[in-house]
Amino acid sequence: MDREILVEKLQGIVGKNGVFTRPADLLVYEYDGSVDGAVETATPSAVALPTTAEQIADIVILAREAGLPVVARGAGTGLSGGAVPQQGGIIISLTRMNRVLEIDREDRTALVEPGVINLELSEETLPHGFFFAPDPSSQKACTIGGNVAENSGGPHCLKYGVTTNHVLGLEIVLPDGRIVWTGGRSAGVSGYDLTGAMVGSEGMLGIVTKALVRLTPSPESTLVLLAPFADIESASHATSRIIAAGIVPAALEMMDNLTIQAVEPAYHAGYPMDAGAVLLIEIDGSTDDVRGTGVEIAALCVESGATEVRSATERAERDLLWKGRKMALGAMGRLAPNYYLHDTVVPRSKLPATLRRVEEISRDFDLPIANVFHAGDGNLHPLMLFDRRVNGSTERVLEASKEIITYCVDVGGALSGEHGIGTEKRGYMTLVYTADDLAAMAGLKNSFDPTGMFNPEKLFPKGYMCGEVRALRMQAMAQKLGIHAL
Amino acid sequence: MPSSADRVKNGQLTIDGVSATESAVPVDAQEMADVLAEAAALGKAVTPIGGGTALTLGNPPERVDVALSTERLAGIIDYEPTDLVLSVGAGARFGDVQAVLAEHGQRLPLDPPGAGDATIGGLIATGRWGPLRYSAGTLRDLLIGISVAHPSGTVSKAGGMVVKNVSGYDMPRLYLGSLGTLGVVVSANFKVLPRPRAEATVIASYDDLLAAFAAASQLRGGRDPIAALEALFLNSGWALATHIEGRDETVDAVARRIVSGAAGDVTRLDEQESAGWWSAYVDQQHLAQADNAVLVRCGVRPKETAALASTIIDEMSELAISVPYLAASPGLGTVVARLDLGGAGSQEGLAKVQGALLSLADSVTILAAPPSWKRGIDVWGRLPEGFDVMQALRQQFDPERTINPGRFAGFL
Repeated sequence: MDREILVEKLQGIVGKNGVFTRPADLLVYEYDGSVDGAVETATPSAVALPTTAEQIADIVILAREAGLPVVARGAGTGLSGGAVPQQGGIIISLTRMNRVLEIDREDRTALVEPGVINLELSEETLPHGFFFAPDPSSQKACTIGGNVAENSGGPHCLKYGVTTNHVLGLEIVLPDGRIVWTGGRSAGVSGYDLTGAMVGSEGMLGIVTKALVRLTPSPESTLVLLAPFADIESASHATSRIIAAGIVPAALEMMDNLTIQAVEPAYHAGYPMDAGAVLLIEIDGSTDDVRGTGVEIAALCVESGATEVRSATERAERDLLWKGRKMALGAMGRLAPNYYLHDTVVPRSKLPATLRRVEEISRDFDLPIANVFHAGDGNLHPLMLFDRRVNGSTERVLEASKEIITYCVDVGGALSGEHGIGTEKRGYMTLVYTADDLAAMAGLKNSFDPTGMFNPEKLFPKGYMCGEVRALRMQAMAQKLGIHAL
Repeated sequence: MPSSADRVKNGQLTIDGVSATESAVPVDAQEMADVLAEAAALGKAVTPIGGGTALTLGNPPERVDVALSTERLAGIIDYEPTDLVLSVGAGARFGDVQAVLAEHGQRLPLDPPGAGDATIGGLIATGRWGPLRYSAGTLRDLLIGISVAHPSGTVSKAGGMVVKNVSGYDMPRLYLGSLGTLGVVVSANFKVLPRPRAEATVIASYDDLLAAFAAASQLRGGRDPIAALEALFLNSGWALATHIEGRDETVDAVARRIVSGAAGDVTRLDEQESAGWWSAYVDQQHLAQADNAVLVRCGVRPKETAALASTIIDEMSELAISVPYLAASPGLGTVVARLDLGGAGSQEGLAKVQGALLSLADSVTILAAPPSWKRGIDVWGRLPEGFDVMQALRQQFDPERTINPGRFAGFL
């Protein structure tokens, strides 16, 4: 299809002001939050900004006629290149579908459009006594649709779970342009859990047009504890003691000395500059529970070598203690012009050894690495500090990052805890998965999108062709049994 | 009664009147995949079996040739109490797994009927839950990794031993509740949780449905650590059971408050007594029912539970069907009822009941019924939206319909 005709037809669907085609307007859609140079990109033919599910369905049908891929996009805060087009095509930007359609206080649910911003959903539900629990660091900008695509986490998922635990149902547009609901408000809906399959599928199976999400009651009381330690080992030990005592805090975050060096002068949160590590622990619940649990945690921290334990219950004090953690990325600019934010997970007990290995890698590659991470669930975020203008520095960062990933996988960890695979980590998939593991994932992809039209060249290793997988598997089976495929 | 594994070995497995002619008890994942591949190549049907506690679930199978037992895949593979993660073979008994976790003060918060004898693989295949779903969710919220044998002769794994993981599609949730139709679970990894330090249950009686559900509604609107909330229909009225879990002082305080706020008869049970009461409660919904009993579960949005319970009672009475047992979960929107069809007991009668219930609820599942009545009825109720995607999944993962043909939703 001629590009002019395509644009005209798109304008017919979403109106003249709902289509971007000028090179300057398209440029931004070649990027997301990932590091420039870490992911490949291609210029889209056009960007469409629909306002209804029906418009999205029409765009998908048009793209199918034109033989173009479709990439859905939220706020573009993703860190793995998930929303970055690889083969051009049509970008469907969901930012104009940003209404909270319904808040059901009794059943504790919200029905939202995909472009609703994560934090705004929590703010809108706060007067009703609720919040939306998944809270990725980008929550001021990222959208619910993006959270669904990436199965986003955040500091509070230690207690409350990740996005998939909070999605009850989805309205989606399928690659053939049909609009269907998965899951719903009632328990016991029959058939496969397509909602579960959709969450975390990186926009490759369907485009979310409405999400029915669970709301969490705001706790009666919240307490934040700050405990500095001489080194990472003793902070890790304290973490294990807390978990072993049967306590699951709302959040349990750790920052190392390099992070403290960056954030304390910037935000004056009161982190001791000489501490080897600080733990930031949040607990919530009934006032009595929080008080009792707080006393227990403080004692465990002191026994594990905390030099002091500060606590804050008032909102302003709590926010100050959190500020250094939440704004840590921004503060890195004080240390280096660029950073590469890594995301891997290891079993919690492997944290101290993993951090030692990260330190070695930092030395080997002559690359400062700050560690700020979700200690409670073993989700590491090594922050590699570098200057992109220096020749070869991006490559060095990617090499070091490969070392870290390989180590994490070796100790039983995962490639990504909350950022996704996208294009950034697709090359690493074979570190963790066999051909048979990938074939099962391809089976899921093929069931939704047999022609590979939605968000192509993501998640699977480069050159991997989902469509041929089934035939290959049948062939393998036939060979094994010495018969011809049926 | 012989154990299900014995029945498999003796080739006695019968599901809804359809008997297996062969059995297989593989010792590892690859052997299990080989059994499936061979059956697929020869056009035979396989029914996987674990504890045999939910064999009545689903439509009568079109065919059962091979009974496939997970009995020899029953070990705990890895358990790191400080990491709060567990990896276990599909054939492990849930009760045994809970006992191991309990030694470390931990548990899988899941309490479906008959769970003690059920296997991990069976619980995943059926996706069943119990009253604890109100506070703790289902296996969907605990499953972090899985290994599955497929009819292609391959074994695939997904997820891992970490609690946060977005490395590729979330396959574990796809397999959960799929009744084995996409592959047979070999092993699974779970996030485990600390056991609550204390528990108590308050059982309060009410003269009528409205009063019981009003009390439930008030509890649902609060922030107390309520683990489960169930309303039980008794011919003389209703009972509301509130299960409280948490720190000792909190549990005590909440229990006292509920007791003092109750208008009618009220009983408080602590610790062992409380646990025992819930175990007996869920076992009333055990799928292994007396002859000719029909057990159904209906679902609506939770705030419509009271209306659902009340209309079911009225509607059944109009059809001259007695309801010897009915329990509702006001926080989940479900009603489970045992129906006595009496003289109307037949395929036609069951279809009529299903039709009546479908007009009242969003989801209707016939959990158990006499096999001859079930024939031709999709016991899973309404065909789900996106059914053709589900058909495509079945085609991708099990093109010959080797595993449990016809038993799952839409006769997949």
